[in-house]
Amino acid sequence: MNFDLHAVASPTEASSRTWTFAEIVKQPEIAARFKRVREYFFLRESTYDMTSRCNVRCDGCYYFEGDKQNAQDNVDPAAWRALFRAEKERGITFVVLAGAEPALVPQLLQVCYDEIPLGAIASNGLIKIPARVGYRIHISVWGSDATSERIRCAKRMLERQIEAYAGDPRAVWVYTFTRDNIGETREVVEQLAKSGCKITFNVFSSAVGYTGSLTHTPESLAETRKTMLDLLRDFPDTVLFSPYSAAAHTDANSLHDLFSCPYPRQNQSEFGLGRTFRQYRADLTWVRAAACCVPDTDCADCRHYAAGSAIVTARMNRHITNPDQFRAWLDYVDTYLAVWVPGYAKGANLCETAVPPTLAMAAGATAGGGR
Amino acid sequence: MPQTGMERRIAEILIQELKLENVTPDTFDVTTDLVKELGIDSMDLTTVVLVLQGEYKVKFDEDTYPSLTTVRAIAEQIRQLQSAAS
Repeated sequence: MNFDLHAVASPTEASSRTWTFAEIVKQPEIAARFKRVREYFFLRESTYDMTSRCNVRCDGCYYFEGDKQNAQDNVDPAAWRALFRAEKERGITFVVLAGAEPALVPQLLQVCYDEIPLGAIASNGLIKIPARVGYRIHISVWGSDATSERIRCAKRMLERQIEAYAGDPRAVWVYTFTRDNIGETREVVEQLAKSGCKITFNVFSSAVGYTGSLTHTPESLAETRKTMLDLLRDFPDTVLFSPYSAAAHTDANSLHDLFSCPYPRQNQSEFGLGRTFRQYRADLTWVRAAACCVPDTDCADCRHYAAGSAIVTARMNRHITNPDQFRAWLDYVDTYLAVWVPGYAKGANLCETAVPPTLAMAAGATAGGGR
Repeated sequence: MPQTGMERRIAEILIQELKLENVTPDTFDVTTDLVKELGIDSMDLTTVVLVLQGEYKVKFDEDTYPSLTTVRAIAEQIRQLQSAAS
C-alpha cells in the first residue's frame, strides 16, 4: 500500500464532477462496505465514570480535570443495575466505561455487562478485568516504558499490560501521540506486534487550562501523521487505523472545528447525540451542559480518538462529494467499529490516500455547519 | 396518508431504506414523528436525506435535520428548497 498524503491534492475526474449519494453507493465495494457498517447504525452511546479511584496518576489525565473527579463513588451494584436498566429503556445500546480506573470495580463492570452487553472499557491495563466481562478493553499507552515511568509513575507499563492481555480478543492498545513521544511509537508497535496484539492511535488533546508540554504543535501533528501512516503500512495486521483517520486527527483544525461536534456540550439540539448521549459521573449524576465523550477537553484542541468516533461518523452527509471521500469515511467508520465493537473485524481500507478532512469541513460550511 | 406525489415518494424511500414493515407508501401516516414514534436514528435519517437530495436535486442544510420529523415536514422542506432555487 502507498499512503500518499498529496495524492488527492490534484483534481481528478471523480472529484471534479457532481455526485449523488445513489451514484456513489452503486459502486460494488462501496455498496458492500456501506451495507456492513450500516448494520451498526443502531448503536446509541453513553459513557460512565465507574470510580474516582486509580492505581496510577498520569500527567494530562482527563479524569483528574474539572469537578467530576470530586463525585462521591456509588459502589452499590443494585444502583448501577437500576441505572443500566433505565439506560436500556431509553434506547442506549452501547456503553463506554471509563474514569478513573474501571478495573478497580470489577463487580460493577459485571453488572453493566449483564444489562447492556455492547461496549468498551478504558483501562490502563495493569489489572486484568475478568474474562466474563465481554466488552472491548482499550489499554492506554503513552510512549515507551521509560516515558510511562516518567509521566505515569508506573514501571514496566507496556510489559505488564502485555503480560495481562496478550491473546485476549477484547484488548486493543491505544497509543496516545503527544508532542514528546512520536519517536517512541515504532518500538511500542513492534513490541505489540511480536505478541500478536492490536493497536490504534489517539492524539493528545489538552484539557481546558492545561499548560504542560504534551500539547501538539503544527509540526508535531505533521510528524504524528507521517508516523501513523508509516506504521499502518508496515504493520497492517497490528494497526487498526485508516489513512483518513490519520488525516482527520492530525489536521491543524480540531475535530470540532472540522465537523461541528454533535455531543451535547456543543450541541443544544435534540437531534442525534444531542438527544440521547449522557456522561455519567461516578455518583450516577450527569450534567447536560458538560456532556461529551472526554469531558473537560478543550474543544479547540480536541483530536481525541473517542471524540472522532462520534464526530466524524455522524458526518456521513459531508463525505458524499465524490467516491474517494465516501470511501475514506467508510474506512473511518470501519476502523471505529473494529476498535470499539466486540467481534467486529476490520476490513481492508478502501481509500489508500489520506483525503484532506477540510473537504468535509467545506461541505459543512456549504450546508450551514449545523448538527 | 400521503396527499401529494412527493409525500408518497418520501414514504416509499423511508420504507425501502429503513426496511419498515407492515406499512405501504399509501398507508404511511405522513404526520408520524419519525424519531419519537418510529425510533428512526439520526444516521438513518441522514441516509434518507442523502437519497432525497439526489432525487430532488436539492441540498438540505444540516441545521434543518432536527426539524425533519415527519414525511410532511420533509416534503415541505423540499418544496421550500426547490422554490428558493428557482
